[in-house]
Amino acid sequence: MKRNERAARTGSFLKAAAILAAGLFSGNAAAGFYNDGKVLLTGGVATIDGAGGGGITPWAVINGYGTRDGINGSLHYTYAYLPNYSLNSYGASVGLYDRLELSFTRSTLPTGSTFDTVGLIAGILPGVVGDTGIEPFNTTIEMDVFGAKLRLFGDAVYTSDSLIPQVSIGGFYKDNKNKDLLTTLQAAKRKDWEAYVSVTKVYFPFSTLVNLTGRYTSANQTGLTGFGYKDRTNGGSGKKDDKKEMRLEVSIATLVAKNTAFGAEYAQHGTSLDNVGVNLNGIGTGQLVGAITDALGPVTDVAGVSLDHLDDTLTQHEDDWYDLFFAYAPNKRISFVVAYAMLGNITLTPDQHGFYLSTHLTF
Amino acid sequence: MNRKSVTATLLAAALLSGVAMQSAFAAEEKTNPIPGIPSNSLEMWGGKDGVHEWAVALFHYIMLDTRINFLFKEFGNPERQIFLNTQLETMVLGGPNEYQGASMTAAHADLNINMEQFNAVVEAAYNACERINLHYWACNQVIAALAPFTDDIVTR
Repeated sequence: MKRNERAARTGSFLKAAAILAAGLFSGNAAAGFYNDGKVLLTGGVATIDGAGGGGITPWAVINGYGTRDGINGSLHYTYAYLPNYSLNSYGASVGLYDRLELSFTRSTLPTGSTFDTVGLIAGILPGVVGDTGIEPFNTTIEMDVFGAKLRLFGDAVYTSDSLIPQVSIGGFYKDNKNKDLLTTLQAAKRKDWEAYVSVTKVYFPFSTLVNLTGRYTSANQTGLTGFGYKDRTNGGSGKKDDKKEMRLEVSIATLVAKNTAFGAEYAQHGTSLDNVGVNLNGIGTGQLVGAITDALGPVTDVAGVSLDHLDDTLTQHEDDWYDLFFAYAPNKRISFVVAYAMLGNITLTPDQHGFYLSTHLTF
Repeated sequence: MNRKSVTATLLAAALLSGVAMQSAFAAEEKTNPIPGIPSNSLEMWGGKDGVHEWAVALFHYIMLDTRINFLFKEFGNPERQIFLNTQLETMVLGGPNEYQGASMTAAHADLNINMEQFNAVVEAAYNACERINLHYWACNQVIAALAPFTDDIVTR
């Protein structure tokens, strides 16, 4: 009897679940939740971290076209072509009742010749340096970014008679997959969270949107090269610096038509790994250059890099990021962004400036 | 339909048409967008005649939009709406205050308008600007001037 009762109860539960699921996903119910009632471009596009905003800076707006009466989802893909890297960022987000935004993004950063050089050097000294996480070719950095944003108060669009902007807080949890590589670059952590507060306002008389964001983070290159710094050289101090700091980000976008905007962005970056060399299994840059010079004897260059400059080549730098962008949304289903990104030094490689293409699908 | 809802419907229709609230005094005032509407805004719009052309185009697009046209079919009188909107928009763009309609709060109180429907009217407003070949920048002056009415209009 008990078995029959249990079976009947299980059957009832399954039936109830089926009815609930059918209700939730039926057209009528979906129509109840679904909303795409915002005006074109007022939900922003998708940043490389997946949050609604510009290209590199999250805005206070909730991504997608959902108003306070419903839910709207989006997918995004961004490709940045830089001289020594190419960034691919793709993911999804959902905006709930114009109040909460949840997002997930995966970033992959295939590296180029500079990392190949380090990989080649590591290959020359296989018994000495162990696994550096850097190969002589096709070294790719991967990072997952989980994001959430909560609109606190204000309306970026319609409170034209008030100076009060829309204000949101948000955060990211970033999980970099390249443990060995980050050890080589001397990052303190490969996983970390960051938090931000964004204020956004549209000034219709100027047809212009202004956004300011303060991001509390210890990220190096947005986390693509980890978080903070830890001295891992033999004989080094072992100093660890993974303290977060507040960094400023700014976006200004001018609308030239209801579906077209252009503008500029700035994102302050940290200096944790600035002037820090690579570390190959405890061997610092200075020791490494000496070992290589000894090992190569009469050879004066590796992969086109003169050994005289090897010390510089193996030293990391980080600069603030800038971009100029053009956004076009032919309709509420799709938008495109073309940008020129000026990212300066990316770890071992200077002058990383190039074009950035992004598409954002909303549904 | 019970007597209460019939009364409410008739009242809403009357309010929206502006008849019930007509008085010698304008029921709505200019808004104060920051940093202000340029003094030549009405001129950029082609004066009151240009605003009228825009209002005609606005209601053309509104009546084509299934998200909102039923509201106007049920409660509104498009001819009257065009007349009142011409007065209202002329006023907020810097012209004289000759608005004879109800206040935004009173006119929309019983319509249960949500944000999507409000935004649909804004989209129709932009379409109307394009229809009369008004520059986007000039169009945004009226959006800036009308935006402060959002909370008076959106009650759901």
